Amino acid sequence: MKPGLRSPLAEALLALADDELILAHRDSEWTGHAPILEEDIAFANIALDELGHAALWYRLVADLREEDAERYPDRLVFHRPAGAFRNVRLVEHPKGDWAFTIVRQFLFDSAEQVRLKALAAHPQASLAQTAAKILTEERYHLRHLSAWVTRLAQGTPESKHRMQAALDHLWPLAGQLFQTLPGEAILVDAGAWPASPMLGIEWQAQVTDFLTGCGLTIPARTSPDESGRQIHSAHLEPLLAEMQSVARLEPQGEW
Amino acid sequence: MSDTQWPRYEVFQQETPDRPHRHAGSVHAPDAEIALLNGRDVFVRRPECSSLWVAPASAIFGGTAEELAAGAPPTGDVSGETVEFLVFAKVDPRGTLTHVGQVQAASKRRAVEEAVHACGPQTPFVLWVVPAALVTRSEPGEAAPLFSPALDRPYRDQAFYHIQTALRRLRQESGG
Repeated sequence: MKPGLRSPLAEALLALADDELILAHRDSEWTGHAPILEEDIAFANIALDELGHAALWYRLVADLREEDAERYPDRLVFHRPAGAFRNVRLVEHPKGDWAFTIVRQFLFDSAEQVRLKALAAHPQASLAQTAAKILTEERYHLRHLSAWVTRLAQGTPESKHRMQAALDHLWPLAGQLFQTLPGEAILVDAGAWPASPMLGIEWQAQVTDFLTGCGLTIPARTSPDESGRQIHSAHLEPLLAEMQSVARLEPQGEW
Repeated sequence: MSDTQWPRYEVFQQETPDRPHRHAGSVHAPDAEIALLNGRDVFVRRPECSSLWVAPASAIFGGTAEELAAGAPPTGDVSGETVEFLVFAKVDPRGTLTHVGQVQAASKRRAVEEAVHACGPQTPFVLWVVPAALVTRSEPGEAAPLFSPALDRPYRDQAFYHIQTALRRLRQESGG
């Protein structure tokens, strides 16, 4: 890898890691509260998978920045202020009702699958292997989520109404997943990254097909929120305050 | 209180391709596809698994040797046509229900008789038959996404963090 690409690659991967971390936290809020025991277990598994994916990406970021792969991810997760996080606003939003959670997870996992397929062919072996490893779990997530989207969208009038309301709310936010990532422009110029807007076209075609097939209506194009990943909603700070509270009791502590 | 649970499915797990499917337990699910996914999440996240079967509990007929001898009639029997039944038996009192083979029969009652006969002199402690057509199986091609991720977790064990030690020290320092 050319030395000049290490820093932008770390930026791009940090964004992916932060997406996984924050979504994992939101998903974990269902633990003990999901609609039925089996789904509680399934969703806790999915949350744990997302956290594991975040850990894999943070580790690569540590390597690229020549930091300690064991300790640096903890510093990133527990000791960064909200303004330094690079996750999309989609994943910060409170968990909402079950339909909201299912639609968000479906949009996220389907987006992730498109990007991971492209990254699994990356010339840098450690990146390609990580993407391939995550992709295996994402295929399962997507199967689980697709099954639920179908059933809730075609279930009762109430479930359908809630799914459509969730999609209306989440669709504009999901577009941010395929904005150009931090560091991406330099990487794309060097042929070392798949251009996000191109992947976004593929993703949108896929999910539009699937969701309309389930009887849901893709919201009409609204003016997209173009602000970048350094801008967060009011929801991120309280989330981090909770997530970081124990580690911040003793910032220099050996955990 | 009215029962708001989904129907119950029995889950059968095969650890490696050369071993028989064994009863893992039950899950609730609105349909067989979700039952398969729930079975995966509830029973095979950590242990080794190469295949899962699920069957609606309502489709299964059988019971303990005493129950079968008492001759309770099966509910919702098949329609008189000869079909294939999968047979699960518990031959060791401390063992689990294990897939032991198939029988062809025109009713659940006949299937149990055939299965008992096939077991020979050693009557199983528990015997179940289920119409093969009502068993939903994971596809061989799904084994990787469904079962292999559980084998290799990137997380640390909670012991990595020495939380108890750290909390004890914090409490001592704060005089609590």
